[in-house]
Amino acid sequence: MTRALLGFGPLDWLLSGAVQVLRGMPFDWARYMPEALLATLLLAPVCGMVGVFVVNYRLAFFSDAISHSAFSGVAAGLVLVSAGLAWVDPRWTLLALGLIVGLLVTTVKRRTDLGTDTIIGVAFSAAVALGIALVTANREVQRAFPQYLYGDVLLVDLPSLRVAFIVGVALSLYLLWSFNRLTLIGFNADLARTRGTRVAIYDYSFAVLLVLLVTTAIPLTGMLLVTALLVVPAAAARNLSRSCAAMFWVAAGIGLVSGVGGLILAYEQNTAAGAAIILLATAIFALSLIPRALRRG
Amino acid sequence: MSGAASAMPARPIAIRTRDLSVALGGVDVLVGASAGFVRGGINALIGQNGAGKTTLLRAILGLVPYRGVVEIAPVGGRAARLAFVPQRVDFDRGTPLSVTDLLCADRQRRPLFLGHSPRVLRAAREALEWVGALRLLGAPLGGLSGGEFQRVLLALALLSEPDILLLDEPVAGIDIKGEALFCDLLVRLRDQRGLTIVLVSHDMSIVMQHTDHVVCIARQSVDCQGDTLTTLTAANIQRIFGFPAAIYDHDHAHGGPHAACDHHHHPGHHHPHMPPPPSSAGPRSGGAA
Repeated sequence: MTRALLGFGPLDWLLSGAVQVLRGMPFDWARYMPEALLATLLLAPVCGMVGVFVVNYRLAFFSDAISHSAFSGVAAGLVLVSAGLAWVDPRWTLLALGLIVGLLVTTVKRRTDLGTDTIIGVAFSAAVALGIALVTANREVQRAFPQYLYGDVLLVDLPSLRVAFIVGVALSLYLLWSFNRLTLIGFNADLARTRGTRVAIYDYSFAVLLVLLVTTAIPLTGMLLVTALLVVPAAAARNLSRSCAAMFWVAAGIGLVSGVGGLILAYEQNTAAGAAIILLATAIFALSLIPRALRRG
Repeated sequence: MSGAASAMPARPIAIRTRDLSVALGGVDVLVGASAGFVRGGINALIGQNGAGKTTLLRAILGLVPYRGVVEIAPVGGRAARLAFVPQRVDFDRGTPLSVTDLLCADRQRRPLFLGHSPRVLRAAREALEWVGALRLLGAPLGGLSGGEFQRVLLALALLSEPDILLLDEPVAGIDIKGEALFCDLLVRLRDQRGLTIVLVSHDMSIVMQHTDHVVCIARQSVDCQGDTLTTLTAANIQRIFGFPAAIYDHDHAHGGPHAACDHHHHPGHHHPHMPPPPSSAGPRSGGAA
């Protein structure tokens, strides 16, 4: 009933169909976690694409702040659940707190001369401290917390696939619409302004979508490593590319390869998926340094 | 005030500011600045560092909030198009962005990751050809010299087919030869395309040699303005820059009316070069060498 009201019918049909197809694949790892695999296919390439801006315009620290705000977001959600509010989902409090921190940091950055890293450092610390305070005060919360800290592929269920699908599509459309303007703003914001670009709109919209992407990817990689999913594939692509189109596609490709490869690795080695994904991406980054060094030498 | 009332007949004004004031973070950086910039001329905004010249440029461009009025004369019945060439771009040189990428990012709707639009690419090629940098098409931005970078920024500005070009310290950080080439380019844009050019500079040799009109900013407001040669008297320069007449030799540099500006100098004043012009034969032949 609710589902029909929200209009998720066709989407759920599509997502369950995709999960069935993945489950039917002749690989143990695909059969074991088709939901996580689908979420990875939806999110990892997009993380690479968005990472182009995170890397080129030094926003890694910003996405770090968002992922660390997850500490208090998840903690607050878990505390509410343990207090008897069973309908609360920590993933929603996670998103809410991410949005608050993301918008706050963007606003302060735009209004003051304080260095962005200082502002973020303050927001970041406050969020982590609040999270740790909440977690340590509550034993029940302590038990559930590591799932979010390290990520857990089994957290990926139909509702989170819906969110992943919507976020993936929304970000792809957003990049189609705003890629050139974001490139120009990143090059020189004043120049972009004199070209009639409303820089504030792009600042805030990018921040909101980055928050959505980071919080959606947390069940997959964990809050400690989610920034790496944005930064590492794009950083490797940067070493391998000479134009922004090349960097964009290479980053998407490396995101996809390390996402799927990492899941396989995690299944084979029985480790956390997030850790395996990021280790694989980091290995690709290390390899990407070779052609770069050769070009310079 | 000396120099403010030029003997020249009034020239059409492209941009006029009236009583323009800007406060940034509670500090007055520009107070009651009224300035005019002549149409179809090269206008220089000069003054000491921190005097407010860049702020005036930014106010005209709408990049800072201001009180007062900025009037921009329409061109052929429509609003004049302004294009800005920023001073120093804090651009991370490791970013894989090519000259083509930058030029197309500004003009095409198609996202860059789906390729360059042929129409915009043609325009980009034309603009680069204009600034003598066609060979830079496709080059990575990170590998450009200061002079090349500045010409690419100029090409980017030209792509929007502006009527008025506003440049913030365009030759800062460029070697002398690149500087001469860049100034020649501005002269050609004025003469062949009829552009109005406004540039911020504290390089007096460039101002003397290449500009038609100056607006001098001192102590957060307009001190004097008018025809370059009649306005930049030794007394005015000393007042604006606050040090005793360090005068630049424009007699050799200009084929223009020496007498008209000579008699403004202090009697018996020597004409030391500071900094020296590109070559004693004059900057234009020096640049073409």
